[in-house]
Amino acid sequence: MSELTTCAVCPSADTILSQFIAGLEVETSHHRVESQKVKCGFGLQGVCCRLCTNGPCRITPTSPRGVCGASADTIVARNFLRAVAAGSGCYIHVVENAARNLKALAASHGEIKGPATLDKLAALFGIAAEDPYQKADQVADRVLGDLHRPSYEKMRLVEKLAYGPRLEQWRKLNILPGGAKSEVFDGVVKTSTNLNSDPLDMLLHCLRLGISTGLYGLTLTNLLNDILLGEPVIRQAPVGLRVIDTGFVNIMITGHQHSMFADLQAKLQTEAAASRARAIGAKGFRLIGCTCVGQDLQLRGEHYQTIFAGHAGNNFTSEAVLATGAIDLVVSEFNCTLPGIEPIAAEFMVRMICIDDLAKKANADLFQYDPETVADLSEYIIANAIQSYQKRRSKVNIRLADSHGDDGVVTGVSESSLRDFLGGTWKPLVELIAAGKIKGIAGVVGCSNLTAKGHDVFTVELTKELIQRDIIVLSAGCTSGGLENVGLMSPKAAALAGDNLREVCEALNIPPVLNFGPCLAIGRLELVAAEIAQFLGVDIPQLPLVLSAPQWLEEQALADGAFGLALGLPLHLAIPPAITGSELVTRVLTEDMVGLTGGRLILEDDVIKTADLLEEIIVAKRRGLGLE
Amino acid sequence: MKRIMIDKDRCNGCLNCSLACMAEHNPAGKSIYVLNLTDIRNESRNFIALDRSGKPTPIFCRHCGEPECVIACMSGAMSRDPATGRVTYHPEQCAACFMCVLSCPFGVLKADTAERKVIIKCDFCGERETPRCVENCPNRAIYLIEVSEE
Repeated sequence: MSELTTCAVCPSADTILSQFIAGLEVETSHHRVESQKVKCGFGLQGVCCRLCTNGPCRITPTSPRGVCGASADTIVARNFLRAVAAGSGCYIHVVENAARNLKALAASHGEIKGPATLDKLAALFGIAAEDPYQKADQVADRVLGDLHRPSYEKMRLVEKLAYGPRLEQWRKLNILPGGAKSEVFDGVVKTSTNLNSDPLDMLLHCLRLGISTGLYGLTLTNLLNDILLGEPVIRQAPVGLRVIDTGFVNIMITGHQHSMFADLQAKLQTEAAASRARAIGAKGFRLIGCTCVGQDLQLRGEHYQTIFAGHAGNNFTSEAVLATGAIDLVVSEFNCTLPGIEPIAAEFMVRMICIDDLAKKANADLFQYDPETVADLSEYIIANAIQSYQKRRSKVNIRLADSHGDDGVVTGVSESSLRDFLGGTWKPLVELIAAGKIKGIAGVVGCSNLTAKGHDVFTVELTKELIQRDIIVLSAGCTSGGLENVGLMSPKAAALAGDNLREVCEALNIPPVLNFGPCLAIGRLELVAAEIAQFLGVDIPQLPLVLSAPQWLEEQALADGAFGLALGLPLHLAIPPAITGSELVTRVLTEDMVGLTGGRLILEDDVIKTADLLEEIIVAKRRGLGLE
Repeated sequence: MKRIMIDKDRCNGCLNCSLACMAEHNPAGKSIYVLNLTDIRNESRNFIALDRSGKPTPIFCRHCGEPECVIACMSGAMSRDPATGRVTYHPEQCAACFMCVLSCPFGVLKADTAERKVIIKCDFCGERETPRCVENCPNRAIYLIEVSEE
């Protein structure tokens, strides 16, 4: 049977994509899943310790302690904290660069594209300056000042950003973070050889990292980007491989740092750039969105209509995007830029430029981003795109997939645009929830992976199951890339919702799955939750709100998850993080956490059982609010 | 009938085969995530020893053609099915004399660690087409081959 198909690829919820990939002559992640299917059980359970040369030590029934004496609990907690610290570091790097860019914008008196957000943040931070550039400069300084504090000095904006009742709880638990970068540093130091061996201390450190990651790396990055790149505006747009038009010089961007592209986007929109493209026979320039930075571009697509083609897909779609042959240049700046794109880029003669050495790709040229020299960088990118287009177009085969993706995806959803859509208040949404028209809210967020039943399979199936039960789904991260490409983020998806939710969606002409964009926008979901909680006068854990990161992939997702737990939310994962080797760590995260923050981890690899569990929690929370 | 073959040169001692065996025989469930690695009642039927030069050496039940364990067993707890060639242990008939343990030329049989009452014995994973240890060896250091009857 398998010999009849061209090759074995992992299943995807996106069947058009998997057909496209199955027909490719290049290898992708979807092909490699098979040869990597044997997993190390010690790794899966988190009980392998490689911290010193006595190891690697592994816990087995006959060797319950490492050579140093570390128990399974200690080894698991150390490994987990290391992962959360690394994940936090990734997001803190992103917000640091966004703040640097805001400071540079203030210095150069560039265009402030989101003045409303600037005013909001300035007011929140208690900045008195009248001049917008002074305001921007001071906002950036406050953020950078906090990020660079030592760990023994608490960050100051936490008090301004956090929801009141949460802040109190965090204070009680003594998990208010010191300087965000220092907390990452401490997390790594704690876990070094024979330092911290207390699993509980290390788990509390994870919560502290969760707070700094969530409030700064997630929430603030969005808001700073709103100032730099424009606030999201709700609109409909096409998504998937169909957005690629071979007539243009196509630049695919991957990563997470949208603020690094502000200047490039502005330059590409100029007539000067367009005429350079026309001079070589192209219709102009197009940015092809891929991974989370593509999601962020799409969110703000309203402001970049002439040069942003649309979002092609999530991390595990990027190899397919490149394999169309229609991409002329890849500009990468952060993670989710799969090493797997490198040989495909070579095959299709695609030039790769990396603009952040933290994410240097093996075959990319590095042009280190610096706000001071950003004009040179934009020119370098444009010139290379033109050169690459001229060099390769006559020599490569182009293979498009016009049927892939969807047309009327609703995008541009943010805490502000959604509130505005509802008439400037959360009242209509709260009333729909109270009346039972919407049973509750599920944030289906995080990454995509190829193992939880296949590419986006768990994410899509769970989402369908939830909306059928009248639970509205908000999505941010690679999950949204998968959900939009299979049509769940278009108004027509209302037909898949339960009767009550369907009625709501049809009346408002909205899909039952709302697209908040990149994983960074998990911070926007937190703002939505806090604002609704405030409207109701309750704390976040009381809301009929659940989180699921069914197909979480990497360390950053663990830092996001730590934020979710700190917020007091139930958080489902289909694949356990490497914690199950420790009964203690597993119990703290799945049970005892409720007594600390109100949150807890739910590990379940069955779609229906997950939906049952999440629905039960929502119903119980409704009862708690007197709604049932 | 099928036999597990061993290519010692390919083994790097990851113990994935042992974990697979424990998970497959875990009464709490077969998922790796529910395997309690600190409970001595979870035992592997195979193991990896180091040879004189420190090279990892996978040790597996051979399901021998003329099994010493069956010959030594006086209570009939060990039997060999001539059709499948599998050597099977029947705990209800076992007198716990451990003669099988003493007589196994590969040192593969052992008494259970917690109680020392029953023998821990490879059952070729029962109904499974491929034993889980074989399936979980990333290096193909152990693999299945079809062998002819005697």
